[in-house]
This record gives sequence, structure tokens and C-alpha cells, in this order.
Amino acid sequence: MKSTLEKFLKIDRRLIFLALAIVLFFPIVRPLGLPNKNLGKDVVNIYNHIESLPAGSFILMSLDYDPATRPELHPQAIALVKHSFRLNHRIGIFTLNAGATGMIEEIAERIPKDIAPAKVYGKDYVIFPYQPKPQAVMTQLGIDMYAIYDKDRNGAPTREMEVMKGIHSVKDMSLGICVTGTALLDAWVAYVGDKYNFPMAGGVTAVSQPGYGPYLQTGQLKGLIGGMKGAADYESLINELDKGTSGIDSLSLAHILVIILIVTSNIIMLVLKYF
Amino acid sequence: MTLIKKQIPLLICFVVGFLTLSSYYVPHPVSEKYMEGINKWENIVFGFAFLLGLLSLFFSHYNKIRRRVPGWGYSIFVYIGFLMMVVPAFVSWGQQLDGASLTSLGWAYRFVFNALSGTMFSVLAFYIVSTAYRAFRIKSPQAAVLFIAALIMIIGKVPLGQMMWDGALGWTNVLVADIVEWLMSVPVVAGRRGIMMGLAVGAIVTALKIIFGIERQYMGKD
Repeated sequence: MKSTLEKFLKIDRRLIFLALAIVLFFPIVRPLGLPNKNLGKDVVNIYNHIESLPAGSFILMSLDYDPATRPELHPQAIALVKHSFRLNHRIGIFTLNAGATGMIEEIAERIPKDIAPAKVYGKDYVIFPYQPKPQAVMTQLGIDMYAIYDKDRNGAPTREMEVMKGIHSVKDMSLGICVTGTALLDAWVAYVGDKYNFPMAGGVTAVSQPGYGPYLQTGQLKGLIGGMKGAADYESLINELDKGTSGIDSLSLAHILVIILIVTSNIIMLVLKYF
Repeated sequence: MTLIKKQIPLLICFVVGFLTLSSYYVPHPVSEKYMEGINKWENIVFGFAFLLGLLSLFFSHYNKIRRRVPGWGYSIFVYIGFLMMVVPAFVSWGQQLDGASLTSLGWAYRFVFNALSGTMFSVLAFYIVSTAYRAFRIKSPQAAVLFIAALIMIIGKVPLGQMMWDGALGWTNVLVADIVEWLMSVPVVAGRRGIMMGLAVGAIVTALKIIFGIERQYMGKD
């Protein structure tokens, strides 16, 4: 008995890998449709903030995530774009992460297809090109954005576009949202949000979510979407269930597997110690 | 020689550092014009830094292949990966979409980089689960606190965990989401705030040391 328990405590990690693979595989193939009841307070806050903006407000979206964090962050970005378009806000999209350009192109490809087919490029939204130095871009956005973004990603002049009417710097915009798997959101708060009193919100991975608590408490961030759960919450709020919601089943089962494993290992350890 | 190698670089660093720092607090057209110039320069210099990094990477892996160091075969994949992205980028003139269809760069990004990068990151999940099984063992009071906090966070962050909590402890009228909220907004924020303040003070001190020429490592060893 004791030797069996000791063996279980030193279980081959490949068996754990296999268990996780099985647990992740089935909900991906056939989603369980678990109800997502408790919506995150910070997710609701960002939703409410966008809802409170008058139609035609300009929202700046800095989508700074690459394929590594795609499962968590891409559904967040899609949900935010859908919500903003639904309320007839204007959107400016760009990235400060070289690996994110393809993510933005995917959104650009999907907008006319299924995100918001009625929206017109140049009138309702614009996509700016990648720029390599984040802090330089952020500082310049508060002074005169056309010094850096005078052309869109295809080389068309942005100043004459209808979507940019009345927009000169972030002071003319209503909200900035940074969706990122890096520490860029901190830089956005420091260089743009605080300096120009510009409302900022963010979307981050679940692992970095706890780090933004101080910004949320002080109001430096109007809201925060954290990880796949945050994406699923936002999809529930806008009633557009997508990849975030379908991924939450896998996430749930994987979490439960972790709980089972760590509780079991502790029980075995106690049994071996006291019996 | 000292003038060119030391004093002039130190003077440039002091003047640019002081002006840039001052410009942050002075919303004047002159300082804004200055910042505009600096921002453009930064963007250009940073672009060239990518090129420098790339050359350094290539030389490093070239030397590994030349010397046949253990694992040198993996270095070949650096060049393969580079060519798989850069050749399509040149062919497509840097564009990923041509109207509604993907260019070769768009295809390489979506079906090569996307898949490889996603795979690398997702492998972490397997290691995290395996490590959690070994790491969350209660061997001390501190480990017990970590275990309880982690357990509540894991349960409270996913719908299935919340359903399990409601089923087992619903009679207490305490929601796991409320406990998670408390953990996130009190102990986590307190710890994080302390780290942030420490980092900020460290960053300010380092910046001042560089501006005033006390910290000179960026100048090299000569």
C-alpha cells in the first residue's frame, strides 16, 4: 500500500501530460457549454465605459499580442471591436509588437466578412502600420499623431480620412485600449494615460492580470479583461459567444485536473507521514 | 582621445537626458517640437537595433555550426525559420493581404509562425500542470498559505470550479468569486504595489546616474 502511494507521488510526468491532453482534447472537439455566471467586475467596467461613450467616439486600440498568447487575447480583441462597432464608435487599430501584425491583418480580413460588414475602411475604422519603438509612439500620440502615423498600413494618407476627422492626438480620443501579453499596458498608463489624462483600459493574459490591481484601484485603468475567462465574460456581455466562450470549457477541466492532482498529492503525503 | 571617447558622449547623454526629462513636464511648443524629433529618431534607431540583433544572432549561430558545438543542428533551423518568413516578405512587399486573399507573407505568418509560436507557448501548460503537482505540497505553514490561496484562485477563476464551490459550500452563502475578489484587491495589490514602488525608485535612481555620468556601462569598457 505504502509503496503504491509513494509510486503515485513520483508519477511519471508524461502520464500527467497525457491526462492533460485528454482533458483538453474533448471539450475542444465537443464543447460542454458550461454556464459562465460570475462575470468579472473589471470586465463589466470596461463594457460599461464603452457603452457610456457617445456614438462616433474615437477608440484607439493597440493590439500588441502575438500568436503565443492568441487563444487568450485574440477573442478579447474581436469582442472589443464588435462591441465598439455595434455602438457606432470609430476605431483606430495599430500594434507596437512586430509579431502582432498578422493578428491585426486577420481582424482586418474578418471585419468586412463577419465582424461588421457594414463598416467602411477609412470612414469607420483605420489600421495604422507597425512602429518599432513603443515609448516614442506613445509620447508622440499625445503631441501630434500625424508625425508618426501620417499614412495607414497600405500607405494611404490618414489625415484626409473621414474616420480621423477632428483627431489630432490622444486628447481628441475617448478611450485607449491596449490588448497585450507584454508589459506595454504599464507603459500606456505611464506615458499616455497619466500624462494626458487619457482614459485607458486593457486586455491581458490571465497570468499577468493580478499585476494590474493597483491601476484599477486608482482609476488609472477604466477596466481590464483578463485571460480567456475575461474574453468569455465580454462575449457574454455583448451576447456574441465565440472562441473565448468555447475555450472556457477546456480551461475549466484543466483547472479541475490541477486541483485533483494537487489535492491528491497532499493527501498521499499526509497518509505517508502519519499512517 | 579622452575627449572624444568619454567627455563628449557624457555631455551628449547629459544634455539629451536633461532635455528629454524636462520636456515630459513642460507642455510648450518648443519642447513638443523637440520631443517630436527625438521620437522620430528613437523609432529609426530602434529599427536599426533589430538589424543589429539579427546580425548578432546569425553570427552566434554560424559559430555554433562551424564549431559543431552540441546541439548545433538546431542552429540550422534559425536560418530556415528566417528564410521562411523573410523571402515571402520580400516577394509580397511586406503586405499580408492582397485585397481579400493572403499573400505569401500572410500565408507564412498564419500557417507557419502562428502554429509554431502557439505550439511553443501551449507546451508551457503541460509543464505548469506537472510542476503544480510537485510544487503545491504542504511542507510548511507558508506552503499551506500558498496552497489555500492557489486552490481558491483556481476554483474561483473558472465556471466549473464556481459550480463545484456552490454545490459543496453554497450553504455558507459565501461566493468563491467574492473571496477571489478580496484576494486580488487586498493582498495581491499590496504586494504588487510594493514591487512597483521599488521598481520605480530603482528606475529613477538608475536614470539619474546615467544622466549625471555616474553609471557609464553603456559606453563600453574602453
